[in-house]
Amino acid sequence: MEVDNEKQHEADEMVKKNIILAKLDDVLNWGRGWSFWPVSFGLACCAIEMMAAGGPRFDISRFGYEVFRPTPRQADLMIVAGTVTRKMAPAVKKIYDQMAEPKWVISMGSCANSGGPFVDSYAVLPGVDSIIPVDVYIPGCPPRPESLFYGLLQLKQKVQNPAKVRLAKHGK
Amino acid sequence: MENSVLLKLVEELAQKLDGEFEASLGTPVLKIKGARTTEALQAARNFSGTPCEFLHDLTAVDYPDRNEIEVVYHLTSLRGPQMIRIKAVVDRNNPVIDTAVRIWPGADFMERECFDLMGVKFNGHPDLRRILLWDDFEGHPLRKDYVTPSVEERKRLRIMQPGE
Repeated sequence: MEVDNEKQHEADEMVKKNIILAKLDDVLNWGRGWSFWPVSFGLACCAIEMMAAGGPRFDISRFGYEVFRPTPRQADLMIVAGTVTRKMAPAVKKIYDQMAEPKWVISMGSCANSGGPFVDSYAVLPGVDSIIPVDVYIPGCPPRPESLFYGLLQLKQKVQNPAKVRLAKHGK
Repeated sequence: MENSVLLKLVEELAQKLDGEFEASLGTPVLKIKGARTTEALQAARNFSGTPCEFLHDLTAVDYPDRNEIEVVYHLTSLRGPQMIRIKAVVDRNNPVIDTAVRIWPGADFMERECFDLMGVKFNGHPDLRRILLWDDFEGHPLRKDYVTPSVEERKRLRIMQPGE
């Protein structure tokens, strides 16, 4: 009987050390924030910086975001890297629509943010946010890979703390 | 030396087609009426000795004050590094010119680009559609009097439906 008690005690200790109780949403968000799967497409020179971020010098896999998917069906993050021309816009929108929920968008560089140096052009969209909702804007022309990582980490904060985002956005 | 041969040939051609001839930095330039383009291009292609059989570039220049558009052809002779330039003048309000696709099939895309950005219509072109801009774009943006819509207008995006 005493032996059993001891075992029970041990088991309780194990439970304390190894089992965490949490809401499923929180756990999922925690996991999502650590492993975004970006859809791999680039539109202009920002894509070169995005590729550099994927290379060994900067190494995006340190953060767990290296799984660039060739199909939007398997991706949950869209990095709009470069100038969105008006002719490209329907394709960008289509890729966004094909991605499965939950999905996020990072607008990388001045062109995707607001049109950048081409804002006065008849053929360039003044900011990708006129066709799809954007979560994080990364300034720069083009942003260095470090900026991209900072943007991704900001997005991680956003995904892992939805309550704080709501607070910052709506003041409640 | 070869170039002087070409200068002479182009000058003779200018007299034949009652066009203007000038030498710009050693390059013979022939300026003709739009209606005589095919004749001039064929003749330049069949120059004896130095046939200019390679169409290097086809573009257009807008002159709103003269109410003219010049369609510019650059031809190169593959027998050596010689180039001639043929400018065909067309009316700006109704820019129509004969196609060069029958002479050089490679003129296809260049003429489409010229039509897209300048609005020059090429008679006899097999497939004269916009090539760089989208199909429902209005106007020809490389014309000097083209006004770019405001940012607010361009933000209102209308995406074409399939079959439209």
